[in-house]
Amino acid sequence: MLKTFLTGILILIAGVSMARPKPEKIFPYKYSTAKLDNGLSVVLVPMESPGLVSYYSVVRTGSRDEWEPGKSGFAHFFEHMMFRGTDKYPGPVYDGLITSLGADANAYTSDDLTVFHLNFASDDLEKVIELESDRFQNLKYDVREFQTESGAVYGEYRKGRTSPWEVAFEKLQDMAFLKHTYKHTTIGFEQDIKDMPNMYDYSISFFKRYYRPENVVILVVGDFKKDNVLKLIKKYYSSWQPGYVSPQITPEPPQTQERSAVVSYPGKTLPLLVVSYKGDAFDVNNKNILSSVLIGDLAFGETSDIYKKLVLKEQKVQFIQADFGFSRDPKLLYIYSMVKDPKDVEYVKNEIYKTLSNFQNILVDNKKLNDLKKKERYSFLMHLDTPDNVAGFLPQFITLTGGIDVVDRLYSGLDKVTPEDILQAAKYYFMPEKRNVVLVRGEN
Amino acid sequence: MTRYIILCVLIIFSITLSAKTKNGTPMKENLVLLPVKNDPTVSFKIWFNAGSEYDPKGKEGLAYITARLISEGATLHNSYEEILEKLFPLASGYSASASVEMTVYSGRVHKDNLEVYYPLFLDGIIRPKFSEQDFDRIKDETLNYLTTTLKYSSDEDLGKTVLYDFIFENTPYGHSEQGTISGVRNITLDDVRNFYQTYYNRNNFVLGIAGGYSKKLAERLQKDLSALPEGTRQNFPDINYEPIKGLNVKMINKDAQATAISFGFPINLKRGEKDWYALAVANSWLGEHRNSSSHLYQVIREARGLNYGDYSYIENFPNGGQLQMPPVNVARRQQIFEVWIRPVPNETRHFVLRSALREIKNFIDNGLTREEFELTRKFLKNYVLHYAPETEMRLGYALDDKFYGLQNSHLETFRKMMDQLSLEDVNNAIKKYLNYGNMKIAIITKDAESFKSALENNTTSPITYSTPKADKVYEEDKEIQDYKLDIPAGNIKIIGVEELFK
Repeated sequence: MLKTFLTGILILIAGVSMARPKPEKIFPYKYSTAKLDNGLSVVLVPMESPGLVSYYSVVRTGSRDEWEPGKSGFAHFFEHMMFRGTDKYPGPVYDGLITSLGADANAYTSDDLTVFHLNFASDDLEKVIELESDRFQNLKYDVREFQTESGAVYGEYRKGRTSPWEVAFEKLQDMAFLKHTYKHTTIGFEQDIKDMPNMYDYSISFFKRYYRPENVVILVVGDFKKDNVLKLIKKYYSSWQPGYVSPQITPEPPQTQERSAVVSYPGKTLPLLVVSYKGDAFDVNNKNILSSVLIGDLAFGETSDIYKKLVLKEQKVQFIQADFGFSRDPKLLYIYSMVKDPKDVEYVKNEIYKTLSNFQNILVDNKKLNDLKKKERYSFLMHLDTPDNVAGFLPQFITLTGGIDVVDRLYSGLDKVTPEDILQAAKYYFMPEKRNVVLVRGEN
Repeated sequence: MTRYIILCVLIIFSITLSAKTKNGTPMKENLVLLPVKNDPTVSFKIWFNAGSEYDPKGKEGLAYITARLISEGATLHNSYEEILEKLFPLASGYSASASVEMTVYSGRVHKDNLEVYYPLFLDGIIRPKFSEQDFDRIKDETLNYLTTTLKYSSDEDLGKTVLYDFIFENTPYGHSEQGTISGVRNITLDDVRNFYQTYYNRNNFVLGIAGGYSKKLAERLQKDLSALPEGTRQNFPDINYEPIKGLNVKMINKDAQATAISFGFPINLKRGEKDWYALAVANSWLGEHRNSSSHLYQVIREARGLNYGDYSYIENFPNGGQLQMPPVNVARRQQIFEVWIRPVPNETRHFVLRSALREIKNFIDNGLTREEFELTRKFLKNYVLHYAPETEMRLGYALDDKFYGLQNSHLETFRKMMDQLSLEDVNNAIKKYLNYGNMKIAIITKDAESFKSALENNTTSPITYSTPKADKVYEEDKEIQDYKLDIPAGNIKIIGVEELFK
């Protein structure tokens, strides 16, 4: 018996290995998708993971969707409210049931999405589907519970605000966006968090607008029979009424000149420097976007010239790193650094500009580019070893595109990026007028 | 059916072998193998008996800096830059984590890249160069961590560090892995070389290999590791902590927006003993890490909305803010019972401290009910499945089993015990190992003097909420606001944040 199941694990891993040579099909598991009549999308990824399943409900709403003034932070607050129960399963009953399953259950919110996830034993799939479908359709809480939960959210803000990085990003987004909702971070503006207890009615309307089947994707990964699970999802979710209302997000007007700010941090820290440039909305066919992902590592990764110079040789900075990620609407490409001596901030900033200028003028070495492509591929394959690791990787693509087909297209697109593409993308993004710079100084 | 399958997966196939070093010195019990034949990756972990408890007096931080220099510095064959260049396309690296007792040098690689990776991994541990340039960088980063990051960027992490230092002051456990400011400043490159020679020796480690490795690879690595310095297995130093009498408070005064509280006391219990699993059930009910169903969370966060979460522990759990599941390879011979109250509004600090300590008293006096016991053991039996889904984590657990001297896998025992324990076992363990009268409390807050005076005088601490609460909350609050802590004046010390970790 034991042997049989071990073989199961082995097959899974062999599957990962065998998929490697075909760049056009890098995602190593077969999956299926379905759409219910009410618009609910389902992505099923069976994989050998003896007895374990990951169940993700991906709501394609995040702090980006908080378009009404005074309502920043609401998507995240609402994530908390989703644990408050229904008539059938009130909060404590829901908690008790999840506890009795021994499930690892949690949720998170970011700019573009809210995700509710559970890892548990396959035997409990129907119970989990029933519980999840119930709270997404019939969530119910009273004013008192709502107001008490707002205190926990304020507590979360307070705990995070001690980090100087929070201070940096709060200022950066506020400065870089004048109209678009990316102006606020996911936790929200402090004055809006303080006002949350008064927003009970708004919370009901938030639920009715965004927690609708057309705006949610159910992702199941692990040890299950797909036909059976699809049948259960249909059974429990078909009564969910559509009614999604899109947020009225104002597009950000093009930035025409550089913006910068210096912020003081109430504590001691080395100076933090964040240099960022306006990016684009994710589009897997946009070569500039694919190229920018690679530039992040090529220009600022551990093998980059600036890393060797500033971190290893001159030791002017404690670290330097880039985050050129994906977003639903045009957001920011970030480069951040912790500078050791306040006197060196200008020098470090200029070194960053010089690095970007080199990428605009000199073609990147082909071997370096190929090494990076190889790294991306192995990094992807080595990561997808458990249902939760697979499921945890996919929500960002689900929120950007509605499904996961884009994963193969993304990796095959990255494979085709040339040194010329990199140069063009660098020219396109790293213009001074698209730049936003924040410096955080401590009370040292 | 499925449940049985899970059980099978949990069984860790650790095989203990003995081997011989090149010069014939026997290396007994120093190998843990976890083969997963077709796994496309190989994981390595080498546990050295070289934690921060071995830091010489006045050189606190030496174990940590040595570990970092090994994994983030040059070797005799390559500069650190060259190492990074070579590792880059492999999407692999290696690292060394120094905790109080264990220093573990680890790496993971795809089998396709093993031949390129292996010599780099091996050089890191047997041929470190200890270059001046790498040393300066790492020492500087460590000092910055101690002088700014640890003191300012997260009050709750600061609170936990202060608590451990407070409980174990004047013992080898009495400083964080990163050391002290003066200790780190005193460390020279020669100190690092000496520490390496003494503790990274061929008789002072346990080697773990997992995944799709070949028998030949395991033999090759064992043979190659005989190039480590000669030496003997190091004995663990004694941890003679001062017994705690009464409630003792250390307040760190700083301009904090909110108050972070951690408290606890040593417990003499370790994995493998039946009582450990009994206490694990009790602790899970009281304060399961980041789990909304736990009791402290329900009282302080869920019913009152005073903070983001409240948890309790019977084993050290570093990086709790980032991790959902317990970390591996941070094992300790001496553990503490620890409560972590995440930051609360300053004006509620006295009330929350009373509330938390009152809950601990009720917990110890009353134990768990039958219903609470049944639910919690059912929860843990399955929850433990999420502790180590990856091969690398399972290898980590296998090394921890070695540390604790366990013949059977801890995770396997954990699940079995959930079927075998009785309510009496659990409630007896609570009474046997826990107490509410003798503990140390670390508090990060502003205007500490006024809090000190309020504590000394048992001043009433009524709470007002900006939003209405359930009637039973108000009733209970009346009891909490005057709950007597009776902390003697001499037991409360205030220290300015700048005075810490000197």
